[in-house]
Amino acid sequence: MSDGRFIDEEHGILAGEASHQRVRQSQDFPLTPRDETYPHTPTVVESDPTYYDKPVIKQAVWIWSVPAYLYVGGAGGAAMTLGAMAQVAGGWHLRPLVHRCRWIGATGGALSSILLVYDLGRPERFVYMLRVFRPTSPMSIGSWVLTFFGASAGAAAVFSRSGGFLGAVGDMAGLAGGFFGMPLAGYTSVLLSNSAIPVWQEARRSMPFLFIGSAISAAAAILNLFPLRKREARAVSTFAVLGGLLEIAGAAGVERETGAVPQVGRPLNHGVPGTIWKAAKILSTGGLILSMVPKKSRTMRRITGVLGTLGSLCVRFAVFHAGKQSAADPRATFRQQRARLS
Amino acid sequence: MPKGFFTDTTVCIGCKACEVACKQWNQLPDDGMQFTGMSYDNTGHLGGSTWRHVSFIERPVPMGGADTAGMAWLMMSDVCKHCQRAGCLENCPTGAIIRTEFDTVYVQPDICNGCGYCVVGCPFGVIDRLHDDGRAWKCTLCYDRLKENMEPACAKACPTDSILFGEIEDLHVKARERVELLHERGVKEAYLYGADASSQPGTEGLNAFFLLTDKPEVYNLPPDPIAPAKKAREAWTSAGLASLGLLIAAAGAVLGSRR
Ligand code: SF4
Repeated sequence: MSDGRFIDEEHGILAGEASHQRVRQSQDFPLTPRDETYPHTPTVVESDPTYYDKPVIKQAVWIWSVPAYLYVGGAGGAAMTLGAMAQVAGGWHLRPLVHRCRWIGATGGALSSILLVYDLGRPERFVYMLRVFRPTSPMSIGSWVLTFFGASAGAAAVFSRSGGFLGAVGDMAGLAGGFFGMPLAGYTSVLLSNSAIPVWQEARRSMPFLFIGSAISAAAAILNLFPLRKREARAVSTFAVLGGLLEIAGAAGVERETGAVPQVGRPLNHGVPGTIWKAAKILSTGGLILSMVPKKSRTMRRITGVLGTLGSLCVRFAVFHAGKQSAADPRATFRQQRARLS
Repeated sequence: MPKGFFTDTTVCIGCKACEVACKQWNQLPDDGMQFTGMSYDNTGHLGGSTWRHVSFIERPVPMGGADTAGMAWLMMSDVCKHCQRAGCLENCPTGAIIRTEFDTVYVQPDICNGCGYCVVGCPFGVIDRLHDDGRAWKCTLCYDRLKENMEPACAKACPTDSILFGEIEDLHVKARERVELLHERGVKEAYLYGADASSQPGTEGLNAFFLLTDKPEVYNLPPDPIAPAKKAREAWTSAGLASLGLLIAAAGAVLGSRR
């Protein structure tokens, strides 16, 4: 047979545990020697041995859609919370803002689900996410949060302009969406840090502040791209400033926490993730400074929005790729744990 | 009855019978023929379709109690540790990963939807999602054989009994005796890795533990593995505070816009 099992089905049966493992058919495996040779016998001679510099842990198998979700879900969650607050305390002046926030939340919820299902190895089984509730798994908690968030944000958006009973339903849903928006904007940081990846694990105390700050910046940035009345613009600017401050403080915290063991923090200073991380800091600071300018013109607000959006996207992609790099480096794992033991 | 493996690396001869037996019994596909240049290890690492992996370490360090001309060749048959606190299981959002009646950790292939969260949860880099298959796979500790009262294929095939299968309690006794014996014979380096919660608090002990004669790192094992959920409290506390920050920012924005 050409599936790498070499079982002739006339004589043998495929009934083993892994007999249904799908593999690409008929591969011709070339005998490929590695071209680099090892300059030294690995291990013990050195003070910090590794196994032929092979990774200890596995890299995340996730693709681009996961960091994209970190951004989209965060922005949707933060927008919904702002919308709920404006609904409660903003009066009719801010009603258009409420409407806009609900649509951003609903779009974010729908897009989030699509991005996450797209990343699954077996997308047709996505509903199994709601098969159990497992409190030790941030992904399980997040799946439930996203479900409730998506449903309430969707209802809030659809009934946002209705009056009477439907309007009341929309308002209720708006509050629920605002409530679930808070965990949605932040749980993804716990999801990443609840792993064996050194750089994510070490950033566990500060990453939530970075992610929520980044979510606020992202939501404010999207709102800044739309035409807003004066009072709405003021609210969005304040939101952006507070989010930007939290984001920058969170980033500093992440650098401090991961920098305690240099090998752990390395991906944030080196290579591709290091570059994206630097870009994120520059863009977010730029966005923050522009947000602080009072009475911005329409164009200025648009530029602020673009900077904030790019900044937030860079934060998510930088953290994601730093994790990939961290997993590939056995010394990050070893030194992180040795530092813990000493 | 908790069952598991005790892998005594001092008697491993690197024959890879365990790797072959595992592949054959479980009908795992091959992973390609690669020449890695890493001693006799052409397997590389554990993975979705490699559930036993023998590592080979050549080192210019003399071994206690033996005249080996200043060299020692270490071999270790690696496998899923079936942790007491299993990062993969605790991360699994679908309930596909379960603890069986034998106290082992088992992935139900008909439930797994390939989210990939177990892959980053395992502190040993054992479980992996297969690209072609889309699901996560790892050693089942021959769940199917255990149910029929048979020992796992690798342990059955091991010609030197480097891989011992049995009830955890018995294995602990045997392992301690073995360490004592080795110490008497001058192999002072011998120690147990992951035998119980006191020596490895992060996993609270492994159902597949090892006897090693060098630092864990030499065998590509983490010195202090930990089930990630054990550290989650700090992360959730921060997330709670940060969510409050979001609420405050929203309130500040709305109230501050009045003028
Ligand atoms: S070694 Fe990894 S895959 Fe095996 S039980 Fe422990 S966490 Fe799960």
